[in-house]
Amino acid sequence: MAENKIKDRLPLIAPAKFNLWLFMLSSSMLFAAFLSAYIVQRPDSIAKQTWTVFDLPVYFFYSLIIAMLSSVSIQLAHRAAKNDELARNKHLIIVTFIFGLLFTLSQCLGWQELLLLDLTFVNPRPEDISASYVWVITLIHFVHILGGIVLLVIAWVKATQFKIHKKQMNFMSITNTYWHFVGLLWFILYFFIYFAR
Amino acid sequence: MSTVALKEEDSHTHDHHHKESFVSKYIFSMDHKMISKQFLITGIIMGVIGMGMSMLFRLQLAWPDEQFGILEMLLGKWAVDGKLDPNFYMGLVTIHGTIMVFYVLTAGLSGTFSNLLIPLQVGARDMASPFLNMLSYWFFFLSSVVLLSSVFVETGPASAGWTVYPPLSALEKAVPGSGLGMTLWLVAIALFIVSALFGGINYISTVLNMRTKGMSMNRMPLTIWAFLFTAILGVLSFPVLLGASLFLIFDRSFGTSFYLSDIYLDGIGALENVGGSPVLYQHLFWFLGHPEVYIILLPALGITSEVISTNARKPIFGYSAMVISLASISFLSFIVWGHHMFITGMNPFLGSVFMILTLIIAVPSAVKAFNYLATLWRGNLRLTPAMLFSIGLVSFFISGGLTGIYLGNAALDIQMHDSYFVVAHFHLVMGSAAIFGMMAGIYHWFPRMYGRMMNDTLGYFHFWITFITAYLVFFPMHFMGLAGVPRRYYQFTLMEDFSIWGDVNKLITVASLVGGFAQILFLYNFFNSIFRGKKSAQNPWQSNTLEWTSPIEVRLHGNWPKELPTVYRGPYEYSRPDRVEDFFPQHIKDEGFPEILITTESKVAPKKVVLEEPSNVFFTAIKRIFGLSR
Repeated sequence: MAENKIKDRLPLIAPAKFNLWLFMLSSSMLFAAFLSAYIVQRPDSIAKQTWTVFDLPVYFFYSLIIAMLSSVSIQLAHRAAKNDELARNKHLIIVTFIFGLLFTLSQCLGWQELLLLDLTFVNPRPEDISASYVWVITLIHFVHILGGIVLLVIAWVKATQFKIHKKQMNFMSITNTYWHFVGLLWFILYFFIYFAR
Repeated sequence: MSTVALKEEDSHTHDHHHKESFVSKYIFSMDHKMISKQFLITGIIMGVIGMGMSMLFRLQLAWPDEQFGILEMLLGKWAVDGKLDPNFYMGLVTIHGTIMVFYVLTAGLSGTFSNLLIPLQVGARDMASPFLNMLSYWFFFLSSVVLLSSVFVETGPASAGWTVYPPLSALEKAVPGSGLGMTLWLVAIALFIVSALFGGINYISTVLNMRTKGMSMNRMPLTIWAFLFTAILGVLSFPVLLGASLFLIFDRSFGTSFYLSDIYLDGIGALENVGGSPVLYQHLFWFLGHPEVYIILLPALGITSEVISTNARKPIFGYSAMVISLASISFLSFIVWGHHMFITGMNPFLGSVFMILTLIIAVPSAVKAFNYLATLWRGNLRLTPAMLFSIGLVSFFISGGLTGIYLGNAALDIQMHDSYFVVAHFHLVMGSAAIFGMMAGIYHWFPRMYGRMMNDTLGYFHFWITFITAYLVFFPMHFMGLAGVPRRYYQFTLMEDFSIWGDVNKLITVASLVGGFAQILFLYNFFNSIFRGKKSAQNPWQSNTLEWTSPIEVRLHGNWPKELPTVYRGPYEYSRPDRVEDFFPQHIKDEGFPEILITTESKVAPKKVVLEEPSNVFFTAIKRIFGLSR
């Protein structure tokens, strides 16, 4: 069969990486929809005096710090792979994974605090609709984080199998880009809700 | 940028002779050509179901007091004594709209032709991600099954209209169709959105990133431009519908109230959870809903560009203008959603902004219409069935588009909203035009899909009956709408003002039945030709684009047995004076102009030839622009 093999010119950008960028664009539109709905609903509810203003749980701020630190660690992991420092790459992926778990923990604590304040996802009182928005936005963002954690696990498995190195960077680049994306997304969402309470 | 050679790590080879099992070849296929057939066949099945539903409710509208035994036989408890149940009537209207908009004209049209043509026309072996492409089809299939299953539930299918506005869609007990049927509708749409996103991401990625050598953006066929803009619209707008659907699901099933405001029954608040706004849903829905119109229409316009140019044996008139028009329409489609909501009590200033932006869409649309006409003008027309369907599209695009100018005007829209005028408008400009574009595509690329030709005579009958009946169905609706006849009503004979339209309703129904049954001609022609059609030549329409260079007799995953073709020119170089043949395929290397065209003027012009007077140059140019002098 060797004679049937044809070597094609390949795309400038690896298709999976290109698809990831388009997915992130698409995903951003989902959050844009949520934030737009928030922007439309808020003044309407404020006018009817049915909008509860509350401080975001401090744990959500911790999530922000964790997201920033994890961005640094995944970037270092990416650089390590690029320099063929395979052991360092594996360790830094584990560090990022731990940051991912810490992010999960901080989110759970944040939701618990909301519940203690009686700010539930469902809203028996009209004024609780502001809490419903916070719940939806944080939950859907968290689903994205879970996707990132899955990517980190796969990256670690690939790293242990020596499938990530300076000549095979695709998956590491995808994980790196996606992790930065979910971190940046949290940064934007946090400050949006913080300033537009 | 088209493609460049990459580093060693990314280099890969294709072995095009791998063996495939029945399952991997026909069911879970990752070959874009097979996936396009899957989209097409599923789209056709959904189209037959959607159209059949419309024929059922047309019977009700024409003869509301009659009893039809066949209805009881078909629908059982939903048509006791042969009379359609009012709730089921609303269900039929809802599911008909949903099927036609999403399942036929979005997935059936874009899914089929984007899949078939993008890799073939840009010169790629397959989509950027064949696996994602396969998933795209199977999510679509699953979504179709879920939607159709909703017709069989005890309380009936969703019945809040295809736009499923709350509170009908948000309160499970609002009407029978608000129950399980509505839940299944939402699940089906969520699956559909996943399918559309997988497909759209793949289409964009393939077009921008995987074009063959020489296929610069300005050499891409207009089909590809249209599919690209369609995919961009989908990737940016479907997530917003997903967001809207999620809110709706939360309101229905979890107890939130994003769309629920105060509703009072007998002076008592009827809802436990309030504080939201049903108008918010409309904003989110129409942010997808309006681009959706162009997600449906743009592929049909792209197909028409290709078919008209090929069959007029002329370069498409104004290639750049066509691309710019597509881009402008796509951009504007994102900022005009408010024109669907003029009657929600929006600020009149905001309404004016939406109105002006909406009316601006007429400009690029008119550019496209005139360019089609200019391409046809003095062309060497080959009136194949595909060409007739394309010309039919132009007709519907113009006649349906003109009424868009009325509806885009807030003052008029407030009067005509939810009337049959709206039904007439969108069925012509979006429904009929897109269906005709789809038909044009099927007749034109059938040889590429199946290696055989469809029967022309049946195609002509199919075209003329469908074309005439489409106008007979939708044209009278304009007058009904102007007279204030509202859409989605079950029975007009009970109201004197509307009962005068009884005979018109009968005419419309008869025409719809004739048009509907005429599609049997198409179905017979399509399925019969797959097995018994005349074998096609490699390039039956003498077209320039790359899909006709890939072998059509052998199904080859990878499209070309050897190297990918290289592109040397644009796709519309027909009837070039320096060529013996009237077409010049994109992959044929230019062997240079004949000497006469590149020598100096003194050598070219014989001494006795009188060159045009300077004063005539202007008129000569005008003549040439309009094709009067060549």
